[in-house]
Amino acid sequence: MIPLNLSALAEPQPAFVTRLRRVRSETGKSDSVWIEGQGDSHLFAGRGGLVALEGADVVALDGDVILVDPERGRAERLLRAGSAHNTLLVTERCDQLCVMCSQPPKKTHDDRFALLEQACLLAEPEAMIGITGGEPTLYKHELLGMIERVHDARPDLGFHVLTNAQHFEEADVARLRKLAFRQVTWGIPLYAAEPELHDRIVGKPGAFARLMESFACLVRAGQRIELRTVLIQDNAAALPELARLVSARLRFVSAWSIMQLEHIGFARGRWRSLYVAHGEDFGPVGQAIDIARLHGIHARLFNFPLCSVPEPYRILAAPSISDWKRKYAPGCEGCRAQDHCCGFFEWHPDDALGGVTPL
Amino acid sequence: MTLFTPLRTRLMSPDRALFVNDGGGFFRAGPDFLDRLSSNALSGSDRRFLIERGHGVDDTDPLGETAFLYNVAERLTLSGPLDYLILVPTLRCNLSCSYCQVSRAALDQKGYDWSDATLEAVLGMIDGLPGPRIKIEFQGGEPTLRPDLIRAVIDRAKRFQERQFVICTNLQQLEPELLALLDEPEMFISTSLDGDFDTHRRNRTEDADTTRAFRRNLATVVERYGPHKVSALPTIDPERPPQPDALIDAYLEFGLESIFLRPINYQGFARKRHASSREQDLAWRAYHEAFVRRLIERNWNDRSVVLEESYFSICLRRIFQPGADRHVDLRNPNPLGHDYVVIDHDGQVYPTDEARMLSRSGVIDLAIGDVHTGWDTPARATLNAHASNLRDPACQRCAYQPYCGRDVIDDIARYGRIDLPRHETEFCRRHLSLFDLAFRLIYDEDECTRYSLARWLRLEGMPVSFGEHWA
Repeated sequence: MIPLNLSALAEPQPAFVTRLRRVRSETGKSDSVWIEGQGDSHLFAGRGGLVALEGADVVALDGDVILVDPERGRAERLLRAGSAHNTLLVTERCDQLCVMCSQPPKKTHDDRFALLEQACLLAEPEAMIGITGGEPTLYKHELLGMIERVHDARPDLGFHVLTNAQHFEEADVARLRKLAFRQVTWGIPLYAAEPELHDRIVGKPGAFARLMESFACLVRAGQRIELRTVLIQDNAAALPELARLVSARLRFVSAWSIMQLEHIGFARGRWRSLYVAHGEDFGPVGQAIDIARLHGIHARLFNFPLCSVPEPYRILAAPSISDWKRKYAPGCEGCRAQDHCCGFFEWHPDDALGGVTPL
Repeated sequence: MTLFTPLRTRLMSPDRALFVNDGGGFFRAGPDFLDRLSSNALSGSDRRFLIERGHGVDDTDPLGETAFLYNVAERLTLSGPLDYLILVPTLRCNLSCSYCQVSRAALDQKGYDWSDATLEAVLGMIDGLPGPRIKIEFQGGEPTLRPDLIRAVIDRAKRFQERQFVICTNLQQLEPELLALLDEPEMFISTSLDGDFDTHRRNRTEDADTTRAFRRNLATVVERYGPHKVSALPTIDPERPPQPDALIDAYLEFGLESIFLRPINYQGFARKRHASSREQDLAWRAYHEAFVRRLIERNWNDRSVVLEESYFSICLRRIFQPGADRHVDLRNPNPLGHDYVVIDHDGQVYPTDEARMLSRSGVIDLAIGDVHTGWDTPARATLNAHASNLRDPACQRCAYQPYCGRDVIDDIARYGRIDLPRHETEFCRRHLSLFDLAFRLIYDEDECTRYSLARWLRLEGMPVSFGEHWA
């Protein structure tokens, strides 16, 4: 697994953002340049003075945009150079409490928007930056403002924002029609076509109805929406009906991602009551895909290892697990399809790694 | 709570009706539902079903109206920039088919090839296209009589990121210069194969040697490039159509699985020599259905090949997958002279290949301009003013309107006018019949039928059902 957090020593000062470089570059006013070090221990010098980092090799760190927090003695690799999976966490608060939440929310909010905005400005050309939480739109005006300002300076960047879409309203439509938001994809979870079932899964009464209202606003603002549905025991049988809803009323989504469960957060403790062994019964997932694909919906499978999916559907299974948290099972050895396969989450339980067949 | 139901109906059988909403979503129901709908006595579950499936819009539903409008809009063609050219470098041909739609010129006739000035203008026009995609189809005449012109065009189009070239050829000759052109990875071959040896000879080649040469060349290109690079169309004389199996086998002999079953087009020489081709009768429709049903049987019996009737697949995809198809003969509105144009041997520009044929026959001049001075002309605007089925009074009441198209050129070709009541035109009757067949198959629960429909719709799996029934 690729480490995302490093221990850091720096002069006492407020947290700051800097880009690490092995050698000085011409556009380097925000850079910290390598001075010395070996192995996983390196010293950089730049806008925050000297920074000593521990936990990764300098070759791996070259080009990374990091947030250094001297007080806590740590540095966060916000944007790793060359990675297509960079995600910024804007808050840990959330107004839903999904049964399978991979990142259980916290009550407190640490406002880092200004620092994250600086990081975006240092991103590699044409980077796609993920925004996640918690629920980012709890701070909707900060979030939209950040996207607008970053777009002014860096129109080459794109954003993928994971949101429960509980907070878009009529008044946002005009703002979202601005050029800046053509660069945004909103990743929005929907778990069932039946309002009560969706509300129960996300732990918020009325969430389904509010979501539909937000959809109307986003569509009228011409926004790009990726729909996401995590497969759990509660909604497995309801997937075909959800596919009908998507095919009839949510045709505007640019993609519908059906996602296998991640063994982290709440899902760890509830694994036995949530996890669906799709390798044993692909039925409802297959039916949902059949309905969606029949109606021209771009359905795809995330976190489904290729060999666990019936052959005709494999073309829809994306290598969706981010590089830094991907692993393969012992049984994957010798498989020639690994380059196109999502593999498993690093934290996938060992007793659920069986059933793979090298392709 | 007001429920708006933008539904149109079509009777499928004495006790079954098809309901289609303006966005193209559909379901089937019986007389009881129709009674409840027409007498304003819908039950709670009726209303829920209609709203959840987008067949009805309720003013208390926050998403319904937006979703409905989106679905209607999705059915409409949004014409992109010009990225599809049909080029006619020569009108001369080395064959003389009785139904030649373009009234070809003889091999030794002068003045039927692009002049130097026309070639220069075509190349200049290609230089001005925005990109990044281009599709160029070479028609004739027999375009391979001028490989030099084809080469000049594709060399000039190298700058496009995505390129596709199609040579429509009778494959009578396969000279080294032509083979070198076909070797280009972006080059595809479209040819005519009317059926078995005798049928093809009777319709096209006239003598056995010429027929043998064609078949040898077709086999050569299929072997050299694989069947994916070669497509063929049969032209069928509806007065004596071949046995479906004979035609299918004639295609499979060359590894060709897609057959565009096309009756003689009422164009060119065919207007006189095959006058009955102006309209097709019930016998043709029955033949077409029998052909499609035979494909279904054969697909089920041998899963290693997927046979299809190309145009039927296009119609099927238009029912389920709006926007997925760029087939320019069936779309609505049907923008003319915008995203694709035909440039004739004399530099004249036509909105469609049929418009070129019609002008060549001397029926009416449908040129919208020429390659030297452009085609943003009043003629083009006039054609486009009528290139939509949205405000046609017959189409407005037709359940198939969201799937169907509009072809003013076809109306002019057959009737010399475009204001006939739509249901009195061949275009309308043909598509009513095609969509009727499609919905009979959609509601056919037979596994063999579902298997073929799934393949024709390019699905990975096989849906349990293709359409809902509401009791």
